[in-house]
Amino acid sequence: MSGYLESQLIILCLSIIYAYGIFLPAASGQLNLGAAGFITLGAYASAWFNASTGAELPIWLSVFLAMLFTGGIAFLISFPILRTRGVYMVLATFAFAEVVAGIVINVEELGAAAGMPVDGHLDVTVIVPVTIFVILFCFYFMSTRLGVALRSIHDDENVATLFGVNVRAAKVAAFTVGAMLMSLGGSLYGHHYNYIEAQTFNVLLSIYILLYVLMGGTQTAWGPLIGAVFFITVPEAIRGVAESAGIGWLAEGRFMLFGAFIVLLMVFRPEGVMTRTLQDRMSGAILRRKQTSIDDAAVRS
Amino acid sequence: MTKNVLEISGMHKSFGGLKVIDDVSFNVSHGSRTALIGPNGAGKTTVFNLLTGVYAIDSGVITVDGEDITHVLPKDRVTAGMSRSFQNIRLMPHLSTVENVILGQHARARKLSSLMFPLGLLPKNDWRLSAEEALDNAGIGTYPGEIVANLPYGVQKRIEVVRALVSQPKLLLLDEPAAGLNEVETNQLQELLEQVSDQGVTILVVEHDMQFVRNLCDHIVVLNFGRKIFEGTPETVHQDPAVLEAYLGTDDEVSEAPHAS
Amino acid sequence: MLVIQQLVNGLMLGGVYVMVAVAFTLIIGMLNFLNFTIPALFMFAAVLMYATMTGTLPFGNDLILLIFGTDYRWIAGIIVALVTIALASLVIERFTYRYMKAKYGDATEHALPLVSSLGFLIIFEHFVVSTWGSDPLTATSPFGQGTYSIGTIIFSIPQIVSLTLSLIVVVLLSVMVKATKLGRALRAIAERPDTAILMGVDVGRIVPVVYVITGLLCAISGVLFTINYSTVDAYVGDTVATVAIAGMVLGGLGNVWGAIIGGLFIGMLEVMSIYIVGADFAKVPIWGLLLVILVFKPTGLFGHTLIGKGKF
Repeated sequence: MSGYLESQLIILCLSIIYAYGIFLPAASGQLNLGAAGFITLGAYASAWFNASTGAELPIWLSVFLAMLFTGGIAFLISFPILRTRGVYMVLATFAFAEVVAGIVINVEELGAAAGMPVDGHLDVTVIVPVTIFVILFCFYFMSTRLGVALRSIHDDENVATLFGVNVRAAKVAAFTVGAMLMSLGGSLYGHHYNYIEAQTFNVLLSIYILLYVLMGGTQTAWGPLIGAVFFITVPEAIRGVAESAGIGWLAEGRFMLFGAFIVLLMVFRPEGVMTRTLQDRMSGAILRRKQTSIDDAAVRS
Repeated sequence: MTKNVLEISGMHKSFGGLKVIDDVSFNVSHGSRTALIGPNGAGKTTVFNLLTGVYAIDSGVITVDGEDITHVLPKDRVTAGMSRSFQNIRLMPHLSTVENVILGQHARARKLSSLMFPLGLLPKNDWRLSAEEALDNAGIGTYPGEIVANLPYGVQKRIEVVRALVSQPKLLLLDEPAAGLNEVETNQLQELLEQVSDQGVTILVVEHDMQFVRNLCDHIVVLNFGRKIFEGTPETVHQDPAVLEAYLGTDDEVSEAPHAS
Repeated sequence: MLVIQQLVNGLMLGGVYVMVAVAFTLIIGMLNFLNFTIPALFMFAAVLMYATMTGTLPFGNDLILLIFGTDYRWIAGIIVALVTIALASLVIERFTYRYMKAKYGDATEHALPLVSSLGFLIIFEHFVVSTWGSDPLTATSPFGQGTYSIGTIIFSIPQIVSLTLSLIVVVLLSVMVKATKLGRALRAIAERPDTAILMGVDVGRIVPVVYVITGLLCAISGVLFTINYSTVDAYVGDTVATVAIAGMVLGGLGNVWGAIIGGLFIGMLEVMSIYIVGADFAKVPIWGLLLVILVFKPTGLFGHTLIGKGKF
């Protein structure tokens, strides 16, 4: 595989992992604009665990410990943050990411503003399988009763409670597991590029990831995959086509098309590209509906 | 097993300065089919909301099968044995029919192993099959995978009943389950509820359709302005002067008062 | 004395940002969502001002030079910025708020205008980068760097003018909201959108007005920014957004005076934080404070009701 394609694949894989991290809380109605915060925690924690043991620690263990660490922090802050609602939650998660960035950039041991080199290299042969695992895990997660509970909470939290769902616990679970996934992505980033600085994981990253998820659709586990794939590959494809066709302006302005697409998608299809209905239609579930019965005829009369 | 599956004693509720439930007490015995009726605004849905914990009771005691649940959290009341349907349909619009019913099973499936079983990936599992069977029994087996938002009103109403049923409650609270149903659907609903009752589930139903109530129920409680004004059999309810006054007022208006057929 | 100077600088900084904070709070209060296009409009106005003054607009430079002459291009700049932003606001409204289809009222469907606003943010930012590049753009201020001193404290005259202008604009806005028919209609929409329609408020005509008013607030602010600081780039929106949003939260979402006081306070807090702990760490006290407010007192200092009942 060419170097260019490989680097694009890495970016795509990491974006997919980040997207699933935001998807899990989004599926239950919690909009998290703080992806950068958890990714930063994962990247730095893994690098630090590795560095502090003099690179003796196996990489997978550093990554795993980083996930636990980030998960722990996410679990703790989930309690205050999940008390907020709607726009307040968007702002609170955003604030959290900013606080993380602000703290990290001042810790000397983590390289402060100059960034931190990371030992141990992970290349595409590790990252791709991990990504696939994350995708499968999320499909599994959403297919469980917990997944049904999360989607119920998204639609009608009060009724979900009346059927016995522990709404608080479910939301905390989604938030924490999502944070751990983002941590995983951040650690993989660090160990692949072998250098991290806090400025890489910025507000724009948080915004883009949330956008991938919302535009792919939060109703099914396909959403973040579609969102990430579409929005990473299409701008690059446009750039390639535009450059070879000599339309320089289009190459530069491809992100404006991206922005325009976002606006139009919200006009015509606000639930995102992949909805539950579309998923069913595509898997032929509706086609497999049993024969119309007298019951049906009675209903229509 | 105690005689009464539900005992309400001295229930009071006010919103701000407005008293909406005033010293309501009644019992629902095991296996009975009780109707809670009254003019609009009498407080029937409020009683349901207090029973299920949507609102906190101001004072009074609620007992389910001998167990005092007055201060139990809403999410735990379904495990105490109460399950409900709603006056306005409150299904999850983005979930499929069978998924809505699966939500109804949640209270029975709180173990971690049940919680984390991939229901969606292995469609032939017991939970899903039993949900589909419940839908079949109610005559709506034709729509298991369809997203509920697209379904006709009558079908959605019955899915609500099925969802409440699958938690295997001792007491089924139904809030106007026949509202908006045509005659065929109403008969099917009645058959379903009779079947359910025969299996030992106690039914407490809020309804305006007096024909339905008369066919199904053996006991009636009447509320007006948050107070209980009558408790007795369907045969005698239309003779009670307090009930007549509640529905007809002091003028001779025709209204939805319970009347002899 | 240095501390006081810093406080003064902060106040001046806050003064430029106050109108943007008010724009955010108006949209949240009336239309129930966080409008991320606002900092983009601010930035775009600032850049248009720069471009008009330096003759680097995509078109019309010669015409402007002809009418205004080199020294008075800043007047053209104000006109260009305000008119463009007003028109842009109308277009944006057409493509976002109109499409709020609250069919099921669940938790994320009301994120629609938020996401659309992000889309527009991306469009504007990349338009500026592809037209003018991402490097800093400098235009000589028509007012020079005049200063005024009280003792050892230095006040920059352009900044005082900005602060005063900002306050005047916002006071006028406040008066308008309280005393005019339009203002009453706006408040009706803010409090009960459904009943507003029933009471005869033409929501379809008023909402574009809200967009234009908030757009103009950003535009005036952007123009003042360019006059005051002379150097702009495609990313000035980000810095403004921080202070403006923070000020809005502190003052209470939906509260105009709260946004003013909050904006000024955050301006001072930012400058003081940079002075005490350095630019990079300054984020922590500001956003830490915000996080605490959002969790424990989301209504802020002056707000009274929670916005949107949980929606966007």
